[in-house]
Amino acid sequence: MAASRTTLALLLFAPLAFFAAFFLAPMAVVALTSLTTDDGGLTFAHYARILFDQYHWDVLWVTFRIALATTALCLLIGFPLAWYLVRIVRWRSWRRACVILIVVPLFTSNIVRSFGWMVLLGRTGLVNQGLMGMGMTERPIRFLGTETGILIGMVYILMPFVVLSVGNALAKIDTALEDASADLGVGPARTFWFVTLPLCLPGAVSGAIMVFALAVSAYVTPALLSGGQITVFSMLIFQQYSSVFDFHYGGALSVTLLVLTLVLVTLAGRIGERGRRAA
Amino acid sequence: MQPLLSIDAVSKRFAAHRALAEVDLVVEPGEFIALLGPSGCGKTTLLRCIAGFLTPDEGRIRIEDEDITRAPPYRRPLNTVFQSYALFPHMSVADNVAYGPRRAGVGRREAQARAAEALALVGLEEMGTRLPRALSGGQQQRVALARAIVNRPKLLLLDEPLSALDLKLRRRMQIELKHIQEKLGIAFIFVTHDQEEAMAMADRIVVMNAGRIEQTGTPEAIYRAPATRFVAEFVGEPNLIALEPAGPGHARLAIGGAELPAASGMRFAMARPEDIVLVNGDVPDDLATFPGVVEEVLAIGPLTTLFVRCGETVLKVARLGMSGVELRPGSPVTLGLRPAALHLIAE
Repeated sequence: MAASRTTLALLLFAPLAFFAAFFLAPMAVVALTSLTTDDGGLTFAHYARILFDQYHWDVLWVTFRIALATTALCLLIGFPLAWYLVRIVRWRSWRRACVILIVVPLFTSNIVRSFGWMVLLGRTGLVNQGLMGMGMTERPIRFLGTETGILIGMVYILMPFVVLSVGNALAKIDTALEDASADLGVGPARTFWFVTLPLCLPGAVSGAIMVFALAVSAYVTPALLSGGQITVFSMLIFQQYSSVFDFHYGGALSVTLLVLTLVLVTLAGRIGERGRRAA
Repeated sequence: MQPLLSIDAVSKRFAAHRALAEVDLVVEPGEFIALLGPSGCGKTTLLRCIAGFLTPDEGRIRIEDEDITRAPPYRRPLNTVFQSYALFPHMSVADNVAYGPRRAGVGRREAQARAAEALALVGLEEMGTRLPRALSGGQQQRVALARAIVNRPKLLLLDEPLSALDLKLRRRMQIELKHIQEKLGIAFIFVTHDQEEAMAMADRIVVMNAGRIEQTGTPEAIYRAPATRFVAEFVGEPNLIALEPAGPGHARLAIGGAELPAASGMRFAMARPEDIVLVNGDVPDDLATFPGVVEEVLAIGPLTTLFVRCGETVLKVARLGMSGVELRPGSPVTLGLRPAALHLIAE
């Protein structure tokens, strides 16, 4: 069909142009800015400043530690939750209610939800009152300004991504596969390990990657729950752009975070793939 | 000899629906059994009870001496070929087949050797490294079979395994399955709703309807001497001719009026389409004849079916090849049948 050639070219060009304009261009601007001085000369000084300063490495370590812990906790809690929704709930309206409960928070602002946790986790907040009421602690536990506090807020906010992607993968697994495994003499636990888990691994990996990427770049939640005690990388970037107005240095910080995140995400993707093949 | 599988009065309910009602069945070692019936008759429920995916509400299922009524599926000495094949999509064909032996603790090499042997048996020795989704439906079906026989069970359950294949492939697989079954000496319980499939493959057919077994017997017995009207109508196309009482121990055919010996309570005489002949010229003594008018002629090649109206009823008359295609609707014909050869049905 010769006539469709132009159409095809247009069809290819349109999304390409869209991506270029809205994704590549801003990134290119940031990357370029990070490599230039105020008078337009090429420089790597901003990157050198980041790489040779221990402080940046400390902040990076905190950032990635929180993001990894968030991802791990989201998987640990999200997987059983997804299992419950897909495999255990029989009553359709209850399942729908649960899904709504999980999704609706995504419609409200991070700021509102993080403030909610500030109230809940405060010295006299509901969490501490509850813990003391049950006699699990004598004095209020300090959550705000600790990594634990940030972790609680992040896990809460990012959990839906894991539940939804794992739930989706679980729902697509034909239960006849588990029947077949049992039929071949394999008990429930090993069937889960050899059949069910490998089949939802892609869903778990994509959920984990989403959570990790969002957690590494999160600003609002750590900023509100850190109480100024803990600094994560996005705060450094924000300072440069909004208070110091050093777009070159801020750009270099952004690119550093982006590259490190990409490296980790690629590694995770590889692991997911290998796990899938090995099983 | 001790039976391989005995099912005693097994019942199963799903809420208000009675899926199985006191089903009894005995399967001998090496037998090929077809569970035949319309959808919803309980044949798949019965199969799932034998496999262990469902637990009967009442009754007992035994394999040899062992009561397995409540044993989980992974502790039963039998295997299943699933309707959807249920191949593990993340494993190669060889790993699918080796899965059973591997998980049972057989070493990797030994398991792969057994898998290769099973794959060779179904003609797929070259396909071991592929993923299931890279195979055609017929090939996937063979992999499912190889995976189920790799442990050499004494009993194999097959849940409509050929229903997703096209007609030609299906015919070929029927013959192949039968050969594999005879070669391995494994007892097969084969669920199907296709009566031709059941007739072509099984040693014995179990006809089910509404959760009950209507009749168990050889294909010939089921076809020639159906126990009930349901069996007669589900297997093949019967002509059911009403019987009228004609004195003690006798009945009269509603069509043609011939008398024949019949126990009281018999309500129909069944003639298969090939039992009724077209009469030209000389009439043998034992043939009862009666007139009719051709309504329709259906020629499919090896067989031509005439639909002939005789009073209230339309009789189906089968003729070999294309003989009879020259008859037009409206042609008057004379039909004949042997009353003594008719099979009588009470209900």
